[in-house]
Formats: sequence, structure tokens, C-alpha cells
Amino acid sequence: MATTTTIPGTLGGTPESSTPAIRVRDLRKNYGAIQAVRGISMEVAPGEIFGLIGPDGAGKTSTFQILAGVMEATSGVADVFSRPARETRAQTGYLTQSFSLYPDLTVSENIRYIGDLRHVPADEIESRAQRYLWMFDMGRFSNRLAGKLSGGMKQKLSLVAALVPEPHVLLLDEPTTGVDPVSRREFWDALAHLASDGLTILVATPYLDEAERCHRVAFMHLGELQQIGTPSELRSSLHVKRLELRASDLSRAEKILSEESGAREIISDVQRFGDRLDLLARDPLQAEELVNREMKAAGISVSEIRLADPTLENTFVATLRNIGHEMHETPFPARHTHRELKGQIAIGAEQLTMQFGSFTAVNNLQLQVRYGEIYGLLGANGAGKTTTIKMLCGLLDPTRGKVQLAGADRAQSARSQAVRQRIGYMSQKFSLYDDLTIEENLEFFAGVYGVPEDERREKREWVLSFSGLEGKQDLITGSLPGGWKQRVAFGAAIMHEPSVLFLDEPTSGVDPLARRAFWTMINRLADEGTAVLVTTHYLEEAEQCNRLGLMVAGEFVAEGSPSGVKARQTGHLLEFVVDQPQKAADFLKLAGERWRVSLFGDRLHIISDASPEKAIAATTAQLNGIGMNVLEAREGRFSLEDVFISVVERARLQGKVASDDA
Amino acid sequence: MKKFLHRLFNHRVRALVQKEFRQIRRDRRLAISLILPPTLQLLLFGFALSATVSNIRLGVVDDSGTPESRELVANLTESKSFQFAGSYLSVDKLGAAISRGDLDAGVVIPYDYARDLYRGNPSTVQFLLNAMNANTAAIAQGYAQGVIQSYNQGLAAGGIHASFRQIAAADVSRRGIVSLHPAYLFNPGLVASWFIVTGVFGLLLILNGSIVASAAMVKERERGTIEQLLMSPAGTYEIILAKIAPLFVLLFLMTLFAVVVMETAFHVPIQGNLLLLLAASGLCILCGISIGTVIATFSKSAEQAQLTSFFVNPPLSTLSGAFYPVEGMPHILQSLTAFNPVYHFVVISRASLLKGSGFGVLWPHFAALFAFTAVLVVLSVWRFRKQLS
Repeated sequence: MATTTTIPGTLGGTPESSTPAIRVRDLRKNYGAIQAVRGISMEVAPGEIFGLIGPDGAGKTSTFQILAGVMEATSGVADVFSRPARETRAQTGYLTQSFSLYPDLTVSENIRYIGDLRHVPADEIESRAQRYLWMFDMGRFSNRLAGKLSGGMKQKLSLVAALVPEPHVLLLDEPTTGVDPVSRREFWDALAHLASDGLTILVATPYLDEAERCHRVAFMHLGELQQIGTPSELRSSLHVKRLELRASDLSRAEKILSEESGAREIISDVQRFGDRLDLLARDPLQAEELVNREMKAAGISVSEIRLADPTLENTFVATLRNIGHEMHETPFPARHTHRELKGQIAIGAEQLTMQFGSFTAVNNLQLQVRYGEIYGLLGANGAGKTTTIKMLCGLLDPTRGKVQLAGADRAQSARSQAVRQRIGYMSQKFSLYDDLTIEENLEFFAGVYGVPEDERREKREWVLSFSGLEGKQDLITGSLPGGWKQRVAFGAAIMHEPSVLFLDEPTSGVDPLARRAFWTMINRLADEGTAVLVTTHYLEEAEQCNRLGLMVAGEFVAEGSPSGVKARQTGHLLEFVVDQPQKAADFLKLAGERWRVSLFGDRLHIISDASPEKAIAATTAQLNGIGMNVLEAREGRFSLEDVFISVVERARLQGKVASDDA
Repeated sequence: MKKFLHRLFNHRVRALVQKEFRQIRRDRRLAISLILPPTLQLLLFGFALSATVSNIRLGVVDDSGTPESRELVANLTESKSFQFAGSYLSVDKLGAAISRGDLDAGVVIPYDYARDLYRGNPSTVQFLLNAMNANTAAIAQGYAQGVIQSYNQGLAAGGIHASFRQIAAADVSRRGIVSLHPAYLFNPGLVASWFIVTGVFGLLLILNGSIVASAAMVKERERGTIEQLLMSPAGTYEIILAKIAPLFVLLFLMTLFAVVVMETAFHVPIQGNLLLLLAASGLCILCGISIGTVIATFSKSAEQAQLTSFFVNPPLSTLSGAFYPVEGMPHILQSLTAFNPVYHFVVISRASLLKGSGFGVLWPHFAALFAFTAVLVVLSVWRFRKQLS
């Protein structure tokens, strides 16, 4: 199991070079008895974007710290341009998950400070800062305090600051955690630019759509590299095809297909992604036949079965399942049900408005969430989601408007203990006490929410098992990686079986497998009558919401079911596969409206208002004109992310701006 | 009562209190700061500050030349604070000796001293102090006042006014400029270290209380966990109660510890009712915690809280009478001390420990301390609630 299966083949289109930018040989790192990194070996070529993916606690951050020269390896080689990582610290830019700049300095002061530290001449700092700020579309914020930037902006600023000393190697440890889809896409566009200029980039990410944009990807698990290869090599390594199944009752369909003994032999894996099931099968025709048969027998109507290549996320999940790392499926020890409340209004808001001074954070919001419903609140950083949640659950008094919560209007005291008792809340960060052990945190939440004594033990055990932390309950919570803390916090928030659940970015920084376990649990709670209000930056999972509200600048610009929102999207989505996707994207962005073009892994998505045939012909001609080959072109289906980005960009063009951009 | 306590310490409060204790246990610095600094401060201030008070060289001009005047000099020098360093014939010669640095202080007993005492009239004794060492001068002054006060207590009527005058060593000719002010002292105690230690005791309770409380309060906010806490069914009062209770227990243990240190290291007598003193300590601790809470509500981080406490703590300690006799301060500042809870506690602690005064005598100070505690607790709860919304 320890063997690394390096897939033979080219280096994913990277330039052949004699000296690798990063060379790692048999690298090990132990923390006491814990082996975090167990002898990994890899090489990263200059100008390559190399992705490190793996579940939480795989040893990614340790690897980064060693390569950044801030931590000593236990044994093995970690060279950057043929010299030990410690000696090349000055040529390495390192971005951690947490913001490490000074919030009380302005953007340009921060950049100057970093530049001065690295002895960059003053005029060079100035010109580089200007160049990179422009590249990241941040030029107009140079006098803003860093602490007043949104999450996405802070990450971009960190990147600019890391780039000013002109490093040869960039190490990015989950740089886009908590960053909205628009900013994330801009961030990756910038990385692609930098790599094409020769910068070597090693990046860890829990978002596998981002990993698709890497030249090569290494898959890390339990301190070992399981697979290295280009995204397409990894995808084809499964030797399966993927079937996208859209049907009326996905939960039941999933259950049938993954439990039916006959199905297991033909369909190797069933995974739920938002509004569809992904089925992996060696023989797609046989699988399709089986699905149709089974669904008919169960009385589930199938709206679409579509054949496609497996995604990296399929690969990731399937690989983890193959090596026995399954999220534990201990059933939640539910003692109460809220089914009888189903259909009643759990959260209601009328003309909800919040003003901070002259700035309107939330404007005239109308909202209703019923028991048993999952409502997704989407929006870019700074769109007003968190302010809305705080008003809905009574942490903030709205400037205007009415709130109704869990059967009590605010006049009646939504803050009363009886109401609070029925509410679960998981804030964006800091849900747990870092200086307590996991067990102590759970005891605290069980106590403060009055979980009955006789239920506490099984509830605590369930959280530990859900988090994959059995036997580790005495660890200090602060020492856990972010993804694990999120799992414990999620568990802690539902121990008392609330009838209304607020989740503010619950899955940020959580690996794909755990993310799915979260959603399985959320769906289950909703089935039992719990009203769930959730925000997320991961739009694939937003597809699992019953209804969505898309916020821009404190207002809803779209609301409805995921399919409804997508159906109302005007224009057509065109999918292109070209031989040089990054170059093609850059070219098309310059040629037309920037927001209409985006890169999804190796695919180009173009949103066009013209008819699909015309648009495909026109774009193909455009690309051929500059000597690029279009390998495949077809009309695609809008993903929520496409909708999100186009809605946000259109609103921006109309002059509606998020707080960041004011 | 039992039912009330049961409601007060319900399952939520129990969970909250347990959480606080666990956090405190993990926070080694907090635990250490409750034991080490109090001990050090008591020992340091007790030994260091009181050492300068002994062996003050005292010159005497005795114009009276009576048994009464000799008795006064004997009273001054019988403790080790003043040391008899010679008799002088005139005030000028005494002044010159002080200016040269031969003496630290001088006392001038007037010609009609014994007659005034005999007739029951007030008499004025003049003290000359070397202004070069302002600290010693201040302590000597307070000390002389103390001696005269206790001397006065033995008299049927009349009594002695002490008048003080500081002489700058470098410039004898300017000595007339220095103001004179007579004063009466309440009770500085007869062993100097007892005076200091009993005073520092009060400061410890309030200052440590406020520092520890502001740190604990601001932590929740700094880390952002306060939101999660507010969303829980726990009420504001429960949250505050749970925050205060563990700190109160710990600070109270610190109080007992400080009493032990005073007793073993300085042999401070415990004349009065210890329970009375502990009751006052409890009020004082609550004052400190409330001050810390209020500070924390104005601060976003531990650093800010610390900086804010720089505005609060120095006036509290200098205007407390812990180090210097309040009577040695300018009048306008003296009246301010009435608004300082530390001052009231220091009075209680000294009177109770050293003189054995009971509640019958000390009740005005208890009343004041209680009033401060009540106001500060209400203020801190109000501020805490306010910052939440």
C-alpha cells in the first residue's frame, strides 16, 4: 500500500528541464510518535503548477513547512533549486491558510514592509506592487487597511506581498479557503499567468475543481503519496466511465444503487453531487441499462443519464474508498424528531435592512425558510450573508424589518432561552474553544444546550466517530487541522437536535469526503424536519439545497430552487476543449467581456447570448485564427457556479457593488 | 434559598463554570500570575520600601528643654525609624546640617511647648526635611505624624501640631519658599513594613482582580467564540456569573495566601476579626473583577485591555494610601481618595489587622466599599450586555 504509483507519461506539458525546481526524496517528519510525513518523493519542474491534494491530516501542511524552510525534516531531502530548502528561504514565497499580514497597515504599507524585509530596492517595490496589484485587479485598494479587506482580497494581497521579492518558488497552502467563487477564479487565473512566466507553484487545495487547473497533481494520504500524474492521467487511471444520473428522488436512488447487490458489480461507485448522482462503471452501457431497470422498479423517474469522463473528485473519492478510508457512517443517535413541524415557517424575514453608518450591508431582504427545508444563502465575500445570518438569529438588531425565528417573533424575544434551545449555530470560524480538549468542548456544548444526561455519552461518541477522531478526544482542539475542527464544530452544533440550524460556511477547508458526510447529515436532519440555513462557497454542494438566495451587495438578485435559478439564467453555456486552454481563455477574455469566459479544469466555459450554433462557430473561428485547435465544442448545462459568476458580474456591470469594491 | 441556588447554578451555568475552570487550568500564566506576583509584591514592597524608613538621622533643636519635650524626642527615636543624630542650638544651624547632608530630618520644639501642653493649648512642632530625597522625606513626614498622633492620643486635651518644611540641599537660601502644612494622621502603624504590607494587600486584590478579569473577558471576544456563546441558550447573567465565579474563587484563594505571607514573613498581627477582613476582601475582589470587565468591554484585544488598564491602575494605587499616608497628600487629592475603593479597603485592612477595630468602627468604609462594588458590578453587567447587542 505504501508504493507510489507514478503513472508513466509526459510531465503534463511542462517544459523538460534538467534541474527540477523542487526535489523531494524520501522525506519524513515525525511529531513524537506521530508520523506526519512517511517518506514521500516527488519532483516539480520550473514553471509547473503542482497540486497536492488529500484529506485533512494527510501531511500536506508539514510538507509545505519543510519546503518553506520554516521546519526541519526528520529525515530525507527537500531541495529547492538543488539547495536545501532552509537555505533558499529568501527565494521562496509561502502562503499559509491564515492571514499573516498586518491588519492595521494599508495594502501598500504591507507590501512595502515585506519588500523592505527582503531588501528589495524601494523603486522596485513600487513598480512590482503596481504590476501585481493591477494583475489582481486591486489597484484601487492600495490605501485601504488590510484588516478591512474581505477574505478573498486578503488572500490576493498575501499573494502580492509574497510575489514582490520575486520568488522562484511559490508555496500555497490552501490559499482559497473561505474565498468566494469569483475571487477564487481570479486567483487561479493569476496563478496560471505567473506559471506561464516561469514561476514554480506548489499548491494544496481541498477544492478539486481547482486541482483540475494544475499541471500535475499528487494525491497524498496518511503521509504518503498515493498517485502522481496529470489530472487527465489520474482520471483515466480508474479505467471507468462516469454516468451522471438526474432523477426525481436522488436519496432513494443512491440508496438503491449502492446497496443492491447486483448493482455493486456493475457500478463500482455511487456518489451524490448536488442535483445528480455520479455512477462510476467499467461498462457504461450495461450500467445504464441497470439503472433504468432499477429506477423503474422503484418508481423513480429518471430525467437524464449522461455519459462523461470521471472528474478528479470522483477519482479522489474512489481512491480513498479503495484504500479503506471511508467516512464513518455511524448513524446519528436521534432521540427527537421535528417532523410534526414540517411545512411551518421556521425562519422568516420581512424588509430586513441593516445599515452601518451610511453603508447598507443588507437591503430589504425577504426570506422564508420552512421546517424540513435546506436554504442556501450564496454570495461573494462582503455580499452581506453573515450580517443576514446574524440578524436572523438575533445576534444583531436590524435597522429595519421583522424577523421571525423558531416560532417566536423578535418582539417576543427571539433571544429567549427557550428559542435558543431550539437553535443550532455554527459560525464561520472559532466555533470551538482552542484551549480545551475535544472531549471538553463537547461536554461544554452538551451542557450549555442541556442535552439530557443519558444522551450525552452516545452523542459525544457519535461526534467523535463522525469526525474520525475516535480515541483522540483528549487532544487539544487548537492542535487540530482546520478541516477536523470543522467536523467537530458541526457535530457540536447538532448534538442537541435543534429544529433550526444555521451553518455559516460549514465545509470551508474540509476535504471532499468529509464534505459529503456533512451533506448526508444535513439532508438527514432536514428529513427529520429541521430547517437548515447554510452559506457556502462551494457551489456544487449548494445544489443540494431545496432553495437558494443569491446575494449581491446586500440584496437578492436571484432566488428559487437550484434548477429554477439555473433555468432563469439567460444565454447559453458553451463548453470548449482546446489544446491550450489557458492561452485561449486569456485571448477570449481580452477579445470580449471578461466574465463570459472561464476555465474549468481543462475546459473553457463561455456564456453567450447568441444561439449555440452561431456562437460555437464564431468562437472556433476566433481561436483557429490565432492557431489554436478546438478539440471539442458543445452546448453545456449551466452549473450553479456559472450562474453565480454571471449574475454577480452582471450586477456589478449595473453598478451594484459588494462592500469590498465600494 | 436552596431552590434559588439550584436555579442560579443550573446545568448551563455548571457547564459554563466547568469550561472556565478548564480554560484557567490550561492557562498556566494566569495561575502563576495569581500566586507569584502577589507574593513578590508583598515581599518586595514590604522589605524594600520599609527599609528606607529606618535610621533616619534626626537633629533636634529643643528650645523648650523640658521633660515633656525630651519625652517627645524619645518617642520619635525609640522606634528604629528615627535615629538621634545630635542637638543643635538654632534652627539655622539645624538647617545647615540638613543641607550639608549630615542629617535627613530635624525637629524644632518651641520654647512654650510644655506650657501649651500643660494649659491644653495646641502647640506646633516644626519638622525640617531634606528635600533631596523626596521619598525618604515623605516617609519621614508620615512617620513623624504617626508618632505625634499616637502621642496626642495619650494627652487629655490640646495636642501637638506638626508643621513640615522641606529644605533643598543645594540652595539653603530658598528654603523659605517651601510651603508648610500641618496635618493629622489617622494611623500609619508603628512598624513600617506593616503599614506597607497591609496597604499593598488591598492593591493586590483590586489590580490583580482587574487584570485577570479583563484578560479572561477579552479572550472570548478576541478569539471570536463569544458569538457561539451568545447563540447558546445561556443568558447574559449566566455567562457573566460563570465568568466571575471561578475568578472570584481563585482570587479569594490568593487572598488567603497573601494573609499567610503577611503573617509568616512580616509577622503582621491579626488583631481583628479575620472574617470581617475576608468579607471586605470579597467585596474588593468583586470591585477588581468588575473594573476588569468594564475595561474588557472597551477593548478588542488583550493588548488593548492592558493599555486601557494603564489609565485606571496607577491612579487607583497612588490614591489609595497603600504606600504613602493619605494625610501627606494635597487636600484636593485627599478628597479624591474617598472615591477609591482601594482606599476604603486599605483602611479596613489596617485597622482590622493592626488595631483590631470592629465593624462598629469600620462600617462607613464597609458601606463605601459595598456601594462601589454594587455600582461597579451593575456597570460591568450593563457594559457586557451592551457590547453584545
